[in-house]
Amino acid sequence: MSRLAVSGSGRRPGVVGRILGEHPAGTAFVTPYVVFLAAVFAYPLGFAVYMSFHDYFFTAPGAIVERPFVGFDNYVTVLSDPAVRRAFGNVLVFLVINVPLTVVLSIGLATALNSAIRWRTFFRVSYYVPYVTASVAVVGVWLFLFNANGLVNSVLGPLAPDPSWLVNSTLAMPTVAIYVTWKQLGFFILLYLAALQNVSKDLYEAASMDGAGRWKSFLNVTVPGVRPATTLVVLLATVTGANLFTEPYLLTGGGGPDGASASPVLVMYQKGIEQGNPDIGSAIGVLLVVGVLMLALAERRFVGRED
Amino acid sequence: MKLQAGLLAVVLAGSLAACGGSDGAGDADAAAKATGPITVWYSNNPEEVAWGKQMVAAWNAAHADQKVTAQEIPTGKSSEEVIGAAITAGNAPCLIFNTSPASVSQFQKQGGLVPLDGFDGGTAYIEDRSGDVAKQYKSTDGKYYQLPWKSNPVMIFYNKKAFAKAGLDPEKPALGTYDEVLATSRKLVSSKAAKFAIYPAPSNEFFQSWFDFYPLYAAETGGKQLVEDGKATFASDEGRKVAQFWRTMYADKLASQEKYTGDAFVDGTAAMAVVGPWAIATYERKIDWGVVPVPTSSGKPANEIHTFSDAKNVAMYSACKNRGTAWEVLKFATSQEQDGKFLELTGQMPLRQDVATTYADYFTKNADYKTFADQAARTVEVPNVPNSITIWQTFRDAYSKSVIFGQEDTGAALDGAAQKVDQLAAQS
Amino acid sequence: MRLRFIALLVGAFVFLFPFYYMLVGSLQAEPDPSVTGAFPSPDNVTGQNYVEINKAIALGRSLINSGIFTGGVILGTLVFGVLAGYALARLHFRGRGLVFNLMLLVQVVPFQLLTIPLYVLIVRSYGLADSYLGMILPFAINSTVVFIFRQYFLQLPAELFDAARIDGAGELSILWRIAVPLVKPALLTGVLVTFIGPWNEFLWPFLITKQQDLQPLAVSLSNYLTTVAARAANPFGAVLAGACVLAAPAVTLFLIFQRRFIATNLESGVKG
Repeated sequence: MSRLAVSGSGRRPGVVGRILGEHPAGTAFVTPYVVFLAAVFAYPLGFAVYMSFHDYFFTAPGAIVERPFVGFDNYVTVLSDPAVRRAFGNVLVFLVINVPLTVVLSIGLATALNSAIRWRTFFRVSYYVPYVTASVAVVGVWLFLFNANGLVNSVLGPLAPDPSWLVNSTLAMPTVAIYVTWKQLGFFILLYLAALQNVSKDLYEAASMDGAGRWKSFLNVTVPGVRPATTLVVLLATVTGANLFTEPYLLTGGGGPDGASASPVLVMYQKGIEQGNPDIGSAIGVLLVVGVLMLALAERRFVGRED
Repeated sequence: MKLQAGLLAVVLAGSLAACGGSDGAGDADAAAKATGPITVWYSNNPEEVAWGKQMVAAWNAAHADQKVTAQEIPTGKSSEEVIGAAITAGNAPCLIFNTSPASVSQFQKQGGLVPLDGFDGGTAYIEDRSGDVAKQYKSTDGKYYQLPWKSNPVMIFYNKKAFAKAGLDPEKPALGTYDEVLATSRKLVSSKAAKFAIYPAPSNEFFQSWFDFYPLYAAETGGKQLVEDGKATFASDEGRKVAQFWRTMYADKLASQEKYTGDAFVDGTAAMAVVGPWAIATYERKIDWGVVPVPTSSGKPANEIHTFSDAKNVAMYSACKNRGTAWEVLKFATSQEQDGKFLELTGQMPLRQDVATTYADYFTKNADYKTFADQAARTVEVPNVPNSITIWQTFRDAYSKSVIFGQEDTGAALDGAAQKVDQLAAQS
Repeated sequence: MRLRFIALLVGAFVFLFPFYYMLVGSLQAEPDPSVTGAFPSPDNVTGQNYVEINKAIALGRSLINSGIFTGGVILGTLVFGVLAGYALARLHFRGRGLVFNLMLLVQVVPFQLLTIPLYVLIVRSYGLADSYLGMILPFAINSTVVFIFRQYFLQLPAELFDAARIDGAGELSILWRIAVPLVKPALLTGVLVTFIGPWNEFLWPFLITKQQDLQPLAVSLSNYLTTVAARAANPFGAVLAGACVLAAPAVTLFLIFQRRFIATNLESGVKG
């Protein structure tokens, strides 16, 4: 079958077309990628699902242990654990803040950075810097800014929250969400910048001939013009947000205070890797994946509608 | 659609089969005698690297046919992850001179460790070298899966300058009882000698309790472990006293609830720290420090005070083929001579009997370390029980909620955690 | 106009601040965690933190390793990722929906879930321990970037492709001569995004090799940070200096290429 696919030239209807679709070349084009996914991800992924249905732990090769099938036991354990439920709740809070903020800020900033403006290079580099900087260092800076005696609280004076941002169980997660928005924004601005290059200039001219102001033409030309990029941004922000790990791990010292900023991946890491219960960890992981996929498909339907 | 799904299934099945295949444990007896080249890992801090290099060089010079290759692994959290992955993949080295006692039960369950009792005179070697302390490192099946190697008995370091600035006696600080520590702390903070009196990491990692609750608990109970005979011990009067002491420190803002980047003790943010002798190398030249044992509610005399050992051990991993050589290297690396070199190069305490007298020369030359050698005789290890890390995380969660953040009564939190810990310790 | 400029300026300050703080902090002789520490003071400036890094790790060797690791990933992603992204956006073939969903799935899965089985697979089944290939393999084609490419190919007008196909051009030449030149900014975005992952990745390369002469910069620096830095004269400064060393190449790369983001057809359209 695959030999056929490779020799297909793309313009031959008939048997080949019926089996492989209109453009058989497509099969050839995606083959390396699919082989890569199969060779690298299929096994670990399949294995994770397998573990989540068994009483499983990692052993040295050759060790003989029983790993009975336990059905949904691991899932029941996970779902009845308040720490896990809380982590899922936390990540929802995170997404509700992070995703819209990311979309609005990155599209706005990208549009501004795309126009003829003084110091454009400087601005672009500035917005890009947090994205490329290693988390260890950036977290240090945020701790400096947001700790009880930090710059932010010094500026706020009596308005500063008590307990301070990162140790306040209501504010910890929103602070993390804003941190992540800030850290990742450069990436999303890049995506929009690239997309803006393909919005036809004629459309802007037509809009301005119709007497549309800058705001109107932003809404009527820019926003619809970069729609595929918006789909991308929404999906990627959701996916990276749902996989939140480094930030609660480093910024709030392991999901503190009292689990208020714990994320599902953090809990999965603690239970699966640190505590040696990969079966429980996998169950959390599978639940997360299913949840995010559902969310992503819903978003795609809602924001996307591209084809 | 179906085509790709099929392809995927084939690859999946193929790789599952490839990984599922076992190569068998082999004949254990034959492996125990086999000799030949081996690999060892040690921690990557400069002092231990210096020791490791000379140890390996000394061994290799005398054993051309049994060469040791050494590699460095980082200390801390990622090292457990790295070792766990290596056990599963079957490419762990023969010996790791950085095995955390808290991880031993897990590695053992994974079939990743070789019991050292299986070697000729193995048990005797361990118990003769370490003395009574050795028993704490026995696993629940009665075997030794680790050789107790070196400890860092945890004590209270204090900054003499800050104490002087607060009008306290820097040579004889009042830090014996909880009340004294609280009074001293209040004075340090109110006089602005330091922003915080002490700064144990308030974050939620499972091991952080080893440096706030556990040393004080060991001292208060005269050497009890967190779990004994399969039961949590900490929901006792002593445990409550320790928790209440720390609760006061946090409530009165003498200790900070917020994670700190950098070393609060070194940069003067905190006037005291709970650490072991390894830290001296980092304090040298920067801080004029003094050291005292951890406090107890009644102010026990120093020679009765127990503390947490913060030990790192040597374990042999089951992926090792030339176990005969590995065992000999293990004995060589923990011989009196090598232990002496270790002490000299790192300032950490070899877990052997009578460190203070065996290396009397060293301690006359380095009086700073003498205190730690005396303390090393009275150390408490983390309990070697199944689910060790889960137990510590459970404890930490409760401690964090009640003691650090004050969202629950400390006594109730300890009771709740004790119940969960009992269940965890009962599983195997 | 002026308002926008000022808003951008304020924003830039907010974004640039950490980098500024890193630089200032990395040049301090004595750590100063207080607010005044954010401003350089002449009697507290030193290059010592950088000297110590240079002493502790083989910067040249680490940079070469990082280059090979990152370069391999970029090459794989650019060649195979563009092909896949184009096919997913522009070609109708059987199984496209499945591949698309797989691509989404792979991104959704947290890496921590896969680490140990993946390690076992690559070390035991493929025998790639202690090799660059083993380091590169899990990252070889960045699915996020495939997704990015797809979205940009999708943005191109369909007529372009129909016309080329009627002229009898093969898919490969349509891709190479028509589509790729039009999405150059996206390709550059792809390169930059791909770059960041392996460049900052610490755990995986370390799992794969314990041999120091194979370890990339992020691993050497992280080892340095966990141990050596604590003994440096100014530990916090050492951490920040390490972060600067790691960030500098990424920022430089961006500086060199950022102009190209707008090179294609923008100049005519800049009207403010």
